[in-house]
Amino acid sequence: MKTRALTSDVLFGLVPIALLIAVWQALVSFGYAPVTLLPPPGLVFARLAQQLVTGTFQQEIAATLFRLFAGFAIAVVLGVSIGLAAAANPAVNAVVRPLVRVLAPLPKVALYPALLLLLGFGHESKITLVAADALFPILLSTYYGASMVEQKLIWSAMAAGTSPREILFKVVLPAAMPSILTGCRIGLVISCIVVFLAEMITSTDGLGHLLVTAARTFQAVDMFVPLITISLLGLILNGALEALRSFLLRGFPEV
Amino acid sequence: MMSPRAMLTRAAPVLACLGLLAVWQLASLALNNDSFPTAIEAIRAIPSILGDKESLINILASLRRMAVGFSLAVALSIPLGLMMGRSRAVASFFNPLLMVIYPVPKAALMPIIMLWLGVGDIAKTLVIFLGVSLPVIYHSFEGAKAVEEKMLWSGAAMGLSAPQRLIRIVLPAALPEILTGCRTGLVLALITMITSEMIARQSGAGNILFNALDMGQYDTVFAMIIIVGAMGIGLDALFERMRARLVKWSEPQFDIPLSFS
Repeated sequence: MKTRALTSDVLFGLVPIALLIAVWQALVSFGYAPVTLLPPPGLVFARLAQQLVTGTFQQEIAATLFRLFAGFAIAVVLGVSIGLAAAANPAVNAVVRPLVRVLAPLPKVALYPALLLLLGFGHESKITLVAADALFPILLSTYYGASMVEQKLIWSAMAAGTSPREILFKVVLPAAMPSILTGCRIGLVISCIVVFLAEMITSTDGLGHLLVTAARTFQAVDMFVPLITISLLGLILNGALEALRSFLLRGFPEV
Repeated sequence: MMSPRAMLTRAAPVLACLGLLAVWQLASLALNNDSFPTAIEAIRAIPSILGDKESLINILASLRRMAVGFSLAVALSIPLGLMMGRSRAVASFFNPLLMVIYPVPKAALMPIIMLWLGVGDIAKTLVIFLGVSLPVIYHSFEGAKAVEEKMLWSGAAMGLSAPQRLIRIVLPAALPEILTGCRTGLVLALITMITSEMIARQSGAGNILFNALDMGQYDTVFAMIIIVGAMGIGLDALFERMRARLVKWSEPQFDIPLSFS
């Protein structure tokens, strides 16, 4: 029963996407938008399918993915460890809290010129920007997850003779896991967005660069292809994280 | 009189700012790199930017676009999010579409929107609108979903119609969560504003920033970074004050915003 309700929900949800594509097609076929400005959806998807099998396009995707994963991985490692440390240690907390308060609302894109000047135009500056943007949601949700852990769990572990270090890794970390994974999900979407923007600003490869080159030469079809690709990448990565989540959280009550 | 401890908590963000500036100063002195001015040099360059009439108009125009885009997005996203939260049909209708749109960088739509609408205010405001909408919809959705059924039942029993229940019960109950979304949206509006102006190099704060980078005026680059950063922190603090006043009854769930891009 449940699966049937789920399938009908999914089908229902496909309606607005189908409508969007239909309106897009209608705009072109009834001549409201010239093909040079708004290419028909069929043409865009055909172009995408044709591009996906070429080696050069795959290389662009690989460049984007490499930066995305590197930045995201740094953000996860730093975010989880700083978040845990801040939740566990009042001294660390006193330092981290005001720093986060100042740095979190700072628009990181504005730092990009500084990163370019300091780290150069290669991978490093883009990876740093991705990491800086994805860091804060992960750090904050780790911190809140870890500080919400039930005190009783910690007391029982202490009563059983667990060392503080082991409590951190065997009690607090697993208990904070749902919250950490929520933060990672937000961080992943942000990484997708930021890596694309960074590549649009200065780059010689990657999906964002493809968009900018297409825009400079007014190739409307080629402008849509990288946008759809990043949206698909986001969906795939989100699905993968969702699978990881249900694997890591097996045994947890429904969250 | 405030206790010294409370004063220290209050002053902590200021101390953090000063600390960051000090680290910057030391780092640039240590690196001694031409393209990395010291914090003091960058701060010295700020008055000349804010004193210049053209730059000031540019920055104010950016803020105006941001305010318009942000307000429109909030006005439309909150009702949509609330309806999604209260109706399964509406939620399953819009969710997949939103999931497809979410990972697309809104500022990346700029080149395409520019082809249709030109490089003027409308294109930039539209991009800011799109960027702000998603987190506000998402948080309103989550907030409305968590409203206690019992309150709605009592409302219905007292004869409130469905739209009345939405405004008088769901909206206030979801308000803390909605405001969290708006706060995220505010940071996001600033980011989208800078990026869209950087892509459509015509006017605005982002334009000043990246033009200075291209021309190698590194003092101006870093001074603009300070100005934009101060805008972010200032707007966030302002919003936080307003939020605290509106939802005094609710403990802040996140006292620091989750930043999106």
